[in-house]
Amino acid sequence: MIELRKVCFTYGKGEQKSGLRDINLKIHKGELVLLCGESGCGKTTLTRCINGLIPHYYEGSLTGTVCINGKEISRMPIHETARVVGSVFQNPRSQFFNVDTTSELAFGCENMGFPEEEINMRMAEAVADFTIHNLMDRNIFKLSGGEKQKLACASVSATGPDILVLDEPSSNLDSKAVEDLRRALKTWKKKGKTIIIAEHRLYYLRDLVDRTILLENGAIIKEFTSREIVTLQQKQTEQLGLRPFHLPSSTKVVPLEPERDETLDLTGFTYSYRGATPAVAVDSLQIPKGSISAMIGLNGAGKSTFARCFCGLEERFKGIVKDNNGLWRNKDRLRRCYMVMQDANHQLFTESVLDEVLLSMKKPDTAAAENVLLDLDLLPLKDLHPMALSGGQKQRVAVAGAVASDKEVVFFDEPTSGLDLKHMQYTSTVIRKLQEKGKTIFIITHDYEFILRTCRRVLHFDSGKIIGNYPLDEEGTARLLEFFLIKSREET
Amino acid sequence: MTDALLSVKASPQAIKLDPRTKLFLMFVISTIMISGSIEGEAAYVRLVLMCVPFVLLLTVKRLKEALLYVFFCIVAWFGEAFLVYSTTGILNILIVMLSGLILRFIPIVVLGYYLVSSTHVGEFVAAMERMRVSQKLIIPMSVMFRFFPTVAEESRAIGDAMRMRGLGNKGFFSNPVTLLEYRLVPLMVSIVKIGDELSAAALTRGLGGPGKRTNIFRIGFGPWDVVLLTLVTAAAAVYLLA
Repeated sequence: MIELRKVCFTYGKGEQKSGLRDINLKIHKGELVLLCGESGCGKTTLTRCINGLIPHYYEGSLTGTVCINGKEISRMPIHETARVVGSVFQNPRSQFFNVDTTSELAFGCENMGFPEEEINMRMAEAVADFTIHNLMDRNIFKLSGGEKQKLACASVSATGPDILVLDEPSSNLDSKAVEDLRRALKTWKKKGKTIIIAEHRLYYLRDLVDRTILLENGAIIKEFTSREIVTLQQKQTEQLGLRPFHLPSSTKVVPLEPERDETLDLTGFTYSYRGATPAVAVDSLQIPKGSISAMIGLNGAGKSTFARCFCGLEERFKGIVKDNNGLWRNKDRLRRCYMVMQDANHQLFTESVLDEVLLSMKKPDTAAAENVLLDLDLLPLKDLHPMALSGGQKQRVAVAGAVASDKEVVFFDEPTSGLDLKHMQYTSTVIRKLQEKGKTIFIITHDYEFILRTCRRVLHFDSGKIIGNYPLDEEGTARLLEFFLIKSREET
Repeated sequence: MTDALLSVKASPQAIKLDPRTKLFLMFVISTIMISGSIEGEAAYVRLVLMCVPFVLLLTVKRLKEALLYVFFCIVAWFGEAFLVYSTTGILNILIVMLSGLILRFIPIVVLGYYLVSSTHVGEFVAAMERMRVSQKLIIPMSVMFRFFPTVAEESRAIGDAMRMRGLGNKGFFSNPVTLLEYRLVPLMVSIVKIGDELSAAALTRGLGGPGKRTNIFRIGFGPWDVVLLTLVTAAAAVYLLA
């Protein structure tokens, strides 16, 4: 049993995450507890109190007690806690210590000094439980985000902890990988493990959760039983600032505006990385100018490669983009397209937010730049260093760069991964504003609610081909939902 | 079940060497290659040692790379042995520099590639433990295996973002410092972030506990280790005495 009594925590200097205020919580053995609430509500902090990273890794002032089976976490060395509590984190790229998958699976067990025979047994069991035979003895750097997260679950599971703590594990996953994650949780639940999961995306947890805890500003403000969750209507979850628990009834369809006649004509979009089968193979495609298209499909379906080719980032790419005024060559496209990447850290270069916007402009103009910042609610931050901002703010600065660049085509690569309801709606508004300025927009995304809110068209990728190109009218919406629910249907 | 697991663990290499042998080869071959010349008896020693990376490349089934390696070696040897005396001026300087560099460094680079691509981190750690290296040194060294691909991955992403924003390499000569800053600052920030998250993850998986760590990788010397160790030791002896 886990027991938190009067827990208060404030981070030391240099951490922007919010702390916790007077948390009292008992979690029984075998329970699956969901922690939810807006970004910065203290979910992540709470998980860190349970796996011992607070107070052993993240510094700050902690009062109150956190006990697991009667033992106080703060008095126990963290390698002892590690035997009881396993942790899966948000970022699949940064929870690996090894280069190959087999070593990674063994890593935890090796650290705990289990005998070799036992490690082999435990590994075999984890491989079977999570059906990752196909992932063994491979280079981790070559795995997709979903595969990495699956391996992370299996590796944690191999050491056999009684308690599992997951911090936004689905943030970077496509719909199939989310389904795999759901199965992993189910496996653990069947084995009687206690699970604590902090999450924004809720729909996949609906049937698994025993108790849902809503946090706000570091305090628990509400608790729901599993029965209450099932009956929650979308309006109610929205009022609580949460993503819905049900996919189908998610969002109403926004009326479609008539599309412009001008189109971008794409031909010969075929590209393969060295020696591999083509990552994209699209013969021809027409996209109305000034539209917002959602690019959907599983990881590895060719969405990113398509985007990179379109933007002119792949120099060997020979495909053609044409509009009424003529041909766009690779170099032209590099000039006329902009991509907002998934990891904002990679595309912020200057020393202040304002400079960042100015850098994007063809003719730097401070007044215009400040206008852009105002639109994005960034003006008060204009003199700060971009790297000193929070994740969501960085993402907005990256978007500000795209707006200021005044380029004709803008790609967004998973702009809402890991965002709560409020920030997802915010991003949606910003992108629609950009479209009103006449830009053609493509969004790579795995976020069903966000697509309905933002996009007018869908491009469905599968193994490098486009197998669907349709407007989001009533029929289109039904088709979209079919894609997102395909897995759960297979199971029934 | 365990069998299935073990079978995927079986290595695709024709000859499996102990990591300690690989380290020893690396040490001897790089020393002799860098310091030696192509004249006198030492030349034969170098010739023999240059064949070692070739054979090792073949054992990890890199035929194309192996042939390329042989080609470069022959051309560079030819250059250093003959062309140097029959050319003059800038061409001469170029040939001396290029063939000298290729001859001295390519075997080392190839050997390094072999070492990294054929060794599991776990095997490397096991070898270090056998050599009684302290854990305080082993852990950072084993992270290095993971560190370089991470840096490469991050750096590529940043390079793309720069080109997207019109900050490509074209302006490099007019403004090298700014461009370098644009590339390095985001790189360092994301590496620090990854490092921070990685440390947290490693702690929750019990790294750094006081007990003895198990290592599932078995290492040990086989007949091929003996062959290569003898060969290289003999070469080193001849080289030193000659």
